[in-house]
Amino acid sequence: MEVLIYGKSQWKKWKILVSLKSRDKPKDDKESEQATVQYLMKTLENLQKENEILKRDLLKSKRTPTGKIGFILLAIGALTLAGSVINTSTVLAFIGLGLTFWGALFLFARPVKFVKSTLLDSTAISSYTTIDRMIRDLSYKGKPIYIPPYPKEAYLPEYLKGLKEMIVFIPAEDIVAMPTIEEMAKKQFILENPKGICIAPPGYGLVSLFERELKTEFTQISIDELYNSLPTIIVNNLELAEEFEINPEKDLIHVKIVNSVYNDLYANEQNIKSIHSIGCPLTSAIACALAKTTGKLIVVVKDLISPDSKTIEIWYQTLEA
Amino acid sequence: MYFPLSLWDIGLWIAMMAIILLVTSELIGSYSDHFGDFVIEKTRLRLAAIFLGVAFMITVLLRIAIPS
Repeated sequence: MEVLIYGKSQWKKWKILVSLKSRDKPKDDKESEQATVQYLMKTLENLQKENEILKRDLLKSKRTPTGKIGFILLAIGALTLAGSVINTSTVLAFIGLGLTFWGALFLFARPVKFVKSTLLDSTAISSYTTIDRMIRDLSYKGKPIYIPPYPKEAYLPEYLKGLKEMIVFIPAEDIVAMPTIEEMAKKQFILENPKGICIAPPGYGLVSLFERELKTEFTQISIDELYNSLPTIIVNNLELAEEFEINPEKDLIHVKIVNSVYNDLYANEQNIKSIHSIGCPLTSAIACALAKTTGKLIVVVKDLISPDSKTIEIWYQTLEA
Repeated sequence: MYFPLSLWDIGLWIAMMAIILLVTSELIGSYSDHFGDFVIEKTRLRLAAIFLGVAFMITVLLRIAIPS
């Protein structure tokens, strides 16, 4: 009504004002949205920066003191060497040389990566729990069988190339019956004849490491060479255990491992059942090595764990394929 | 103001250090806890020892080549 009173020009003004107001509403919303996004971005940036600082602090507090000691020795050594030149003192020169050298050595010899052995257990538990669940749900009773692969350089037709991979076959029944070559080559997980599942052995990665240390494949060496080289690789080269013994016992192969890096997996608290039939990554890798060298099927017959889980004794049996 | 050690002194010192390092690298293992908080890469320690051994051999050769 007021519009009519104000006349034409006022009516126009009012119209413009209304239209502007109606347009401002979504504009305001957009602006507020933009402001919120900007505020969130800034907060996120700040949090990221804070996170980086915290990470650096944590790394500093966890870092081994080898680096710090190296720098300190290097600095003192350099000062002493300078002092020896100024005073022409042989004693100072020797001390300076020694300190500088040890400082440099500490910086050079500190490890690039250092992982606590407890981390190994934590990362391995999930896969064992999964295997446990699978075996329980499928109510499989058979003992896992390590099936040897074909040598890498052996020629195989394309459809059989899957046979070059190491696998563990877990049969549904306790009676040992092997799947056909075609079935294994298909890289299937569930096999129907005989009923069972095929999985990659837990020590699959470790075997490759063993072969890298040995500079040859296990398929290329004899069983005696394997008995001689395994203790050196496990104890000296890879330092996976403090002591390692492997001896043939009639038709079985007996392995004794003291203070393995995986011994906590056998502790009762973990309550892993499949570890006693498949083995921990180390014992599984040994089974893989045995299967590759002998070209026969390998089964973990039994294992004996000391109450403190420090000593693991395990018996393997070879079966004809 | 000059460096007080001769080539012979340095050669002898290098030889001693090489022996100490070689023995140390053989005795310690990064797996064992004997070194406490120190974590040292054994292979690098051995590499340094071998390098020092070679350095000592060079000083010996130098002494043979330039007998002063």
